[in-house]
Amino acid sequence: MILKIAWRNIWRSRTRSLVVIGAIIVGIWAEIFLMSFSEGMVKSYIDNAIQSEISHIQLHQPDFLKDKEVKYVIDDASSLQQALQSTAHVKAATVRSLSNAMIASAKGARGVQIKAVDPANESAVTRIDTKVVEGEYFSEGKKNQILLGRSLAEKMNIKIRSKIVLTFTNLNGDITAAAFRVVGLYETDNTMVDDAVVYTTRQDFNKVLGGGDIAHEAALFLEDPEYLDTVFSVLQAQFPNLKVETYKQISPEIALFDSQMQLSTTIFTVILMLALVFGIINTMLMAVLERIKELGMLMAVGMNKARVFFMIMFETIMLGLVAGPIGLGLAYLTVLYFNHTGIDLGNWSEAMRQFGMSRVVYTTIRPSMFTELAIAVILTALIGSIYPALKAIRLRPVEAIRRI
Amino acid sequence: MKNIITKGITKVYNPDTIPVVALDGVDLEIEQGEFTAIVGPSGSGKTTLLNIIGGLDKPSHGSVTISGTEITKMRDNKLIEFRKEHIGFVFQAYNLIPVLTAEENVEFVMLLQNRPSAERDQRTTELLEAVGLGDKRNTRPAQLSGGQQQRVAVARALAPKPDFILADEPTANLDSKSTENLLDIMARLNHEEGITFVFSTHDQRVIDRAHRVITLVDGKIATDELQNPEK
Repeated sequence: MILKIAWRNIWRSRTRSLVVIGAIIVGIWAEIFLMSFSEGMVKSYIDNAIQSEISHIQLHQPDFLKDKEVKYVIDDASSLQQALQSTAHVKAATVRSLSNAMIASAKGARGVQIKAVDPANESAVTRIDTKVVEGEYFSEGKKNQILLGRSLAEKMNIKIRSKIVLTFTNLNGDITAAAFRVVGLYETDNTMVDDAVVYTTRQDFNKVLGGGDIAHEAALFLEDPEYLDTVFSVLQAQFPNLKVETYKQISPEIALFDSQMQLSTTIFTVILMLALVFGIINTMLMAVLERIKELGMLMAVGMNKARVFFMIMFETIMLGLVAGPIGLGLAYLTVLYFNHTGIDLGNWSEAMRQFGMSRVVYTTIRPSMFTELAIAVILTALIGSIYPALKAIRLRPVEAIRRI
Repeated sequence: MKNIITKGITKVYNPDTIPVVALDGVDLEIEQGEFTAIVGPSGSGKTTLLNIIGGLDKPSHGSVTISGTEITKMRDNKLIEFRKEHIGFVFQAYNLIPVLTAEENVEFVMLLQNRPSAERDQRTTELLEAVGLGDKRNTRPAQLSGGQQQRVAVARALAPKPDFILADEPTANLDSKSTENLLDIMARLNHEEGITFVFSTHDQRVIDRAHRVITLVDGKIATDELQNPEK
């Protein structure tokens, strides 16, 4: 009966209850949408970083990481690539020769990093072949091909099929130069990468570098990121002479970005819940104050304080229970829709690319967020109901009944 | 023995500022089965006395004992429990629960008493029939007239089988016909089922029907007389 009274009481002041219910719905919807948008951005940032640049796990000669000198090589790189490729849960693996170099054109010179790759393996790991926007990816039978980022090419005024000269240090420590033909321009979602990385083939580059089947870096892409720790442990045991690192170790800013996004989302949640608490307190206080006489009568005829307290609480929780599923449902549909279509931030695409994010953000959210938010709303309703409920039980029946 | 005994009841409002003495040493004994009216002019202390007897208010001095239990020293929650079992209230403004139907209003206190469903249903039906509202059981208070609402209030007060019904100006908002109707019902319940009614009133129609009339003047009992009711 108390539940029945509580439920019917909600609809006594229909407009007021609908306003609170609306506020809760909008709050939940906005919260989930914002969280899904943030998570989408984080995911875009991490995915871009992993797919275009870092991969899930990298292996290096330990000294290479300290000095980045080309002499710290991994020998018999092809065997390493095959071993990595055949490791459980590894989707694709590649090896690269790396070197810092100077690229020169008629317009000037810039520092770049050469990534000398095995074309097929590299495209399996970073899908760089799909990012070629002008010209083509490496083709068989051609020598000294090179891919440049489109933004770099524009800055250097380099066209497709141009010949460019790269100057770098070879394995003997001598400065050497080699000419390459630009076969394609690529564009990733990260301008910094496009400006600074040029791709050539390992076969050609190793020749001018003065080495055989060498590499400086092995990178691998997993079937699923959840295997990260497992594969990491396996590789550590399998290659004790190499430094094995996950993307979290290689690029700690990813974790930082993720945690900062989570922190800002948490702060937003707290602010939102506080606003809801005050909204609920206001509404329920009004509901109590306009029913003083009735509450006094209930206590007069034998409804004890605990029951009065819970009745007010139930009313508040019911507001949350009405609003919660609607808000969660609307939010779910919105997230689902934008997960499918994405939100095109075309106007900010340059800025987004500066930060390594795609211009289209696909909203995404952990399913547990819905449960967590539902609990948060119920808790908020509970907290919001405490003061009005206390106010109700502090009434003295004789005074309450006397009220007009 | 079911009775109400008050000893030296004094009630002073605003004792620290401008004291107003509402009751001044009221000694009273009301036995089971009485049909008693407490009368007096406005401000004589009728409602205050009824509130104190019903445990809704505490006296400044003195004691109230109901059926052998002194209620003046009880804590709030215990007093609520006591009222639930022993005292039924009928208020001037009916004070029904507006979101519940007539039937649910009557059933409400029995639910608080955890009475079984079958017993609640039977008693609710009986009481609504007794007050002539068998056909209004699913009607909410807003759709009932003042007289009908007060009859529901009487049925609600009777539902938990209290020892006493305390009615504060029960006819104040009713027209003559509704008043007569209500008084007939209460007189019948008093006569046939021995239910004790104590009214505070200055309605002559109620006074005329009472068996005992206690007159309060300035917070004191001026007269306490038995009479033969008109009906």
